[in-house]
Amino acid sequence: MNEPPAVTGEEFRKVSDFLYRRTGMLFTETKRYYVERRIADRMSFLKIGSFPTYFGYLRGDVDGEIEKFINAFTVNETYFYREEHQLRCLSTDLLNERVRAKKPGETLRIWSVPCATGEEPYSIAMWLLDNWPEVDVQDIEIVGSDIDTECVAAAQRGEFGQRALMRLSPALIEKYFEALGEDRWRIVADLRQSVQFTAANLMNRSETRQHGKFDIIFCRNVLIYFDDASRRLAAENLFESLVPGGFICLGHTESMSRISPLFEVRRFADAIVYQRPPGGTNG
Amino acid sequence: MPLVRRPSPPTEVAAAPASLTEGTSDQRWAAVRAVAERPDGVPLLAAALPLESDPRVREAIFTGLARAPTAESVEAVIPYLRSDDASLRTAAIDALRAMPEATRPYVAGLLADPEADVRLLSCEFARTLPESEANRLLGDLLVRETEKNVAAAAVEVLAEIGRPEVLPALASCAERFAGDGFLQFSIKEAADRIGQP
Repeated sequence: MNEPPAVTGEEFRKVSDFLYRRTGMLFTETKRYYVERRIADRMSFLKIGSFPTYFGYLRGDVDGEIEKFINAFTVNETYFYREEHQLRCLSTDLLNERVRAKKPGETLRIWSVPCATGEEPYSIAMWLLDNWPEVDVQDIEIVGSDIDTECVAAAQRGEFGQRALMRLSPALIEKYFEALGEDRWRIVADLRQSVQFTAANLMNRSETRQHGKFDIIFCRNVLIYFDDASRRLAAENLFESLVPGGFICLGHTESMSRISPLFEVRRFADAIVYQRPPGGTNG
Repeated sequence: MPLVRRPSPPTEVAAAPASLTEGTSDQRWAAVRAVAERPDGVPLLAAALPLESDPRVREAIFTGLARAPTAESVEAVIPYLRSDDASLRTAAIDALRAMPEATRPYVAGLLADPEADVRLLSCEFARTLPESEANRLLGDLLVRETEKNVAAAAVEVLAEIGRPEVLPALASCAERFAGDGFLQFSIKEAADRIGQP
């Protein structure tokens, strides 16, 4: 483990300001050691001996350092039932509001993008089956998309290691997975067939449009890595991919208000989400 | 299991874009987004911007311009820094911030603009410049600035990116605004962060 660098109080405030402006993550003096540890790791990896030199390297985004630095503060791996509070919000508030807004018999469409290797869309399916009373009377379509076709193929296979299942109870694992041996599990066939996976690039409007309109989009922990221009474009593509009144859920460190004024902020008991204003056409 | 799996709906056939300036706001939004993908889109977007009143469509125009980061795009956006409408000023600054390289040659001029509001908003662009250039430009501004709000905006940026060479400019600014408690505090805070040469 690397010793924290000699970061003065003033330098700590500089890097805290930078992180807040860039990501919305706020680190006060009480988190100073946590921040210093991550700076120490990056400086050691890069063989940079002083904080001012490292801060210049970071601000200049040399060799994509901003992304690597942010990675040090976020959970990069995905797992089942990650950010469970949003799933609670989905079953308690979002879907019920969408059902009220739709005509009887209309399918509710949920998009997980990017879906990585499928943990998120499968989590949505499992959560709804276990927690949403309307699940038996509504048609729900869940689509998972990712720019990485290898991820899409892995998601379709639906095989996961123990780490991905760490938040699931034994009962849930028993219900929705089959053991493959050597700490590997596969999603049961019924559930695998309930989620559709596709390749899609959020930055490519024709690809996002091909997926049609969704009631709810989960787009977590990706916009934080885009530059300003790319974030704006992605936000507009996502806006177009929602029906009027549809919702978008971002990662807990992300804020659509910092990216685009197109969406309205909705505060529910379990989560803050963003909504395409109701009304208007599907344009 | 009750969840259903259906094929994605058929691809939406992109209709020929309607006029950028006629039709409903949804039609104009769609037209703007289509034009923004065209290599010759910038002049069309620039021409549509002053005629557009819907904030959502305007936002798409600004994004389209920012996605084509050229001098032409920057020059189409800069006039909106002078708008009386605060939302337009904000949209303009966000668009310029999204094309930092294209905006860079204009920052010195914007920091010397006769309008204090433009100078104030432009301090934020300095964050996107290389540190040495940002320090030079904000230092130059601080030694001549007469509006305390503009000086305060520059000092706030320097608190993050300031280098020792800007300390004399901060001291000069502190002297000129000796009666302003807030600015005195901000300058001291920034100078403390920058440290000694």
